[in-house]
Amino acid sequence: MAAIVSTKAGVVPPSAGDAHVKAASLGQIVVSRDGEDVLVAYGLGSCVGVVGWDPQARVGGLLHALLPQFRPGDNVAKYVDTGILELLRQMENLGAHRQRIVWYVVGGAAMLKMPDMKSEFDIGSKNAEMARQVMERERLHIKVIDVGGTAGRTVKLNLRDGTVSVKTLGLGEKIL
Amino acid sequence: MDSVETFAGARLDRLLEQMAELAAARTASGLSTMLGRPIRMAVPRLELVPIAQVADYVGGPEQEAVGIYLAISGDLAGHIMLILPLSDAMRLTDMLMEVPEGTTASLGPIERSALAEVGNVSASLFMSAIANASGLSAWPSPPAVMIDMVGAILDVILIGCGAVSDEILLLQTQFEGPDRSIEIYFWLVPGATIAAEG
Repeated sequence: MAAIVSTKAGVVPPSAGDAHVKAASLGQIVVSRDGEDVLVAYGLGSCVGVVGWDPQARVGGLLHALLPQFRPGDNVAKYVDTGILELLRQMENLGAHRQRIVWYVVGGAAMLKMPDMKSEFDIGSKNAEMARQVMERERLHIKVIDVGGTAGRTVKLNLRDGTVSVKTLGLGEKIL
Repeated sequence: MDSVETFAGARLDRLLEQMAELAAARTASGLSTMLGRPIRMAVPRLELVPIAQVADYVGGPEQEAVGIYLAISGDLAGHIMLILPLSDAMRLTDMLMEVPEGTTASLGPIERSALAEVGNVSASLFMSAIANASGLSAWPSPPAVMIDMVGAILDVILIGCGAVSDEILLLQTQFEGPDRSIEIYFWLVPGATIAAEG
């Protein structure tokens, strides 16, 4: 007999394999200053991954945001606008300096194209656009922006040297 | 918890279970007719899954998978997504085409079309069974097929629910043929669909 089980939110499944891989799942932020760590956001579709790296303080951070604009009462990291500010705050707590941080914005793909959609509803491009706007308003420097298209992406920040890489199925992995 | 809420909650759970069982039986019957041979659907298991954990149920967010998406309009407006890891999608294609397991090695236009149709038929039959049982309307859109990382595919329905709740309803079942069975995950999200949002 089927039974409905309600599980409580908030449990983060452990990353498989390497203990130094720290994954930011939907609506999560991960920050670190451990040179052994690799921060990762897997399978970004319309979601946007925002990576920050302070090369001097060796502090890295990653936001995995779902929607462009904050809705009050909700988790700030789910949204691009509040998520970026929260990511910055957490990185600064670890010793990063705003003026030194280089930023990468990845994702914002259009996963769904349906023939009877009323308008070109594309949350991916709205997420990417919000990221651009917030960065500009806060005078944060985007080093690389890899957004759009129709394919999912995984983004990784390696804290050993600050390398950021993006992987897509079929195209392999490239360094940004 | 207040005893009345518990009672009402338990009654709703039981009602949903019964509708899911009935809908599964109707869907299996429809699929059998479509394919011209017996297909059974196992009694569905229902679970509310936190959105951060959804990907792990189908192989992890980087797993290559097939997603078949339908938007539902009407009283029961929402989204349905059927997700299968790529290997299971190929096994399902084998089952649909009545060839030995392992025959399908890639998903070209014909295979994608067959999968879209199964997704379409099963989601439509399922929703119409729920609609008939509840007296509420449900009209599915044509299906969209995506082959990509699980995480990217799930974004399509998670953006729909992310602002409403932190959990998605999983309906887990199996498609059973005479000599093989395939694990099937339907993800259901209620609410305004993409077509309705500006």
